[in-house]
Amino acid sequence: MAEYRGEIHRRQKELMQQWYARLDESARTGWPPAICLMISGNCVELLEAFGIVPMYPEVNALQLAIRHQSLEPILAAEEMGYATDNCAYVKADIGAYLLGLTPSGGRLPRPTLVLCNFVGCNTYIKWFEHVAALLDAPLYVLDVPFLRSEEPSPADVAYVVAQLKEVVARIEQLTGVPFDMERFREAVRCSQQVEELWSRIKHLARHRPSPFDAYFDAITLMGPLYVYRARPEGVEFFRLALAELEAKAARGEGVYESERFRVVVEGPPPYPYFRAFRDMFARWRATAVASTYSTVGGIWEFGFRHDPERPFETVALHMLAHNLTNRNYLQRYEQIRRYVREWGADGVIIHFVKSCRLFSAGQGDMRDYITKALGVPTLYIESDLEDPRYFAEAQIRNRVDAFFEALERHKHAIAV
Amino acid sequence: MLIAAGVDVGSTQTKAVILAKDGEPRILARALVDTGANVSRAAEQAFHAACQKAGLDPREVEMVVGTGYGRYRIVFGQAQVTEISCHARGAHFIFPQTRTVIDIGGQDAKVIRLGPRGEVRDFVMNDKCAAGTGRFLANAAEVLGLALEEIGPLSLRATDPVKLTTVCTVFVESDILSYLAQGRRPEDILRGVHLAIARRTVSLARRIPIEPAITFTGGVARNIGMVKALEEVLGLPVQVSPDAHFMGALGAALFAVEKLEQNVEGGISS
Repeated sequence: MAEYRGEIHRRQKELMQQWYARLDESARTGWPPAICLMISGNCVELLEAFGIVPMYPEVNALQLAIRHQSLEPILAAEEMGYATDNCAYVKADIGAYLLGLTPSGGRLPRPTLVLCNFVGCNTYIKWFEHVAALLDAPLYVLDVPFLRSEEPSPADVAYVVAQLKEVVARIEQLTGVPFDMERFREAVRCSQQVEELWSRIKHLARHRPSPFDAYFDAITLMGPLYVYRARPEGVEFFRLALAELEAKAARGEGVYESERFRVVVEGPPPYPYFRAFRDMFARWRATAVASTYSTVGGIWEFGFRHDPERPFETVALHMLAHNLTNRNYLQRYEQIRRYVREWGADGVIIHFVKSCRLFSAGQGDMRDYITKALGVPTLYIESDLEDPRYFAEAQIRNRVDAFFEALERHKHAIAV
Repeated sequence: MLIAAGVDVGSTQTKAVILAKDGEPRILARALVDTGANVSRAAEQAFHAACQKAGLDPREVEMVVGTGYGRYRIVFGQAQVTEISCHARGAHFIFPQTRTVIDIGGQDAKVIRLGPRGEVRDFVMNDKCAAGTGRFLANAAEVLGLALEEIGPLSLRATDPVKLTTVCTVFVESDILSYLAQGRRPEDILRGVHLAIARRTVSLARRIPIEPAITFTGGVARNIGMVKALEEVLGLPVQVSPDAHFMGALGAALFAVEKLEQNVEGGISS
């Protein structure tokens, strides 16, 4: 069965091209100003309030990888002194600057500010320090306390809000543009709407068959989600996406002609071999009904929304508690448990990322928890999200095939 | 009578087994060839050699299932099953009480947990490097100038085994050379080599609960030194079949028989 290609795919491509065109324009004319930001738990709404275009090093890195262009910049960064074990996203991004390489072929601007929204991943700090030094740009590190308990404390929220206000003053000073509270509320309102639409899309995957793959197809939707969350184009795009996927669900159309397996995926994909990796699951007509990776930017399917009535506070709450990376491991277990039970999955796939020790280190325990405490078959595979040298296709295929062979017999045994 | 075959194209060797089923399945023939560079040809050679030993024309074999890394390159095979499922199936056929399979091959090591009917419940494998696999033993043998089949029995004569700190297939050579330079005896070095692999394999196995009975399969199971080292580290007996090396091919042949029977039941073939 041919892979689904709808209006959303065409529009996604267009939106991503427009974003790179804005960055190129910023590089050529100095306007609009650009600010470097991380994907996870960010405060893009603040940037939109100033008409600033966000620049995401992670998106640049993954775009290079998916185009099979990541190895060259990784090697350039290693020649500079980065170790093989360092985050390959960082190396691809730094190396790309060194080589003057961009995914679009256009230019990337010198950022007005390198704004490090440090949420959970401490590599972010070193990465952005280097970017700031390399591009001779000012750096601001937002210190977001890690979520060690269930909810952030009022003091945590106040601490982040105070920093956000400091960032506002800093941006005003750097750009000469006064902060516009109404524009900020408008950006937060857009985010709120996008989050609602995206959440409804994610809940469509509870259908049998699921009308879309909440890992591989979700990645297509994640580009506009991150770049346009706080903009009207984002709202328009996600309205279109929801309508298109709802129509598929109403027609009873799945990702495959007949859905054989439903899985939950943990960890980012191996972008340099995205196609080959997807095909391994397609062979078994296995659909991802949920994925943790698609919540790196934000976890909205369980109800959290930005609120234009409380813009600073909800931006802070989003950064503190409603994105994958700033939450603790037990919360990630709970997230996976809910996906398995509420989205009706047969098994869990864990993709360990070799160059991301921070988020992969506990995945052995996670596998134990899922198999032993939840009794759910779990496959553990490893490669890398960016570095093509870590992907051993035959080895990974073997594990994927064996996992689905066992699942099939397991399902058959239950059926008879 | 149904006649079916399994062909296991491994990284080092290719194995074929032919089964006849008229009541209980029985092995008619086995064949073994080096895989070499031409995977498809190795599969064909092993299959034809097994047919010849069984006194069969290859056309008399009604179903061939391929397994191992080269399974998709077996041009005459009708289906592919991974060696994880096949080793489980083969081990359960030979020793029905098997609940854990330890399979060490040329480039990988895996531990498989089985259900009572031989179905795979869970499995773990070494990560992508070949540390602690058959290749590690082959390199150790080469450094010591010994044949692969000599090292197992020799290791059992050790009196003071060395403590090998690496299971890296590349660095083991320099480690062994440094022990030789210190005047350590080859049998003590080899015992250290076998224990290092056993420890690594058992730590892999402990990620999924180890439940007896344990069956050891794959080419490395022919090495008595490895069997003893595994038993020592596990603190449990390990079952080894004379067909340990053919377990993947045997499991594939059993899947082939199953497919033939399903076809008969479903009325697909006569």
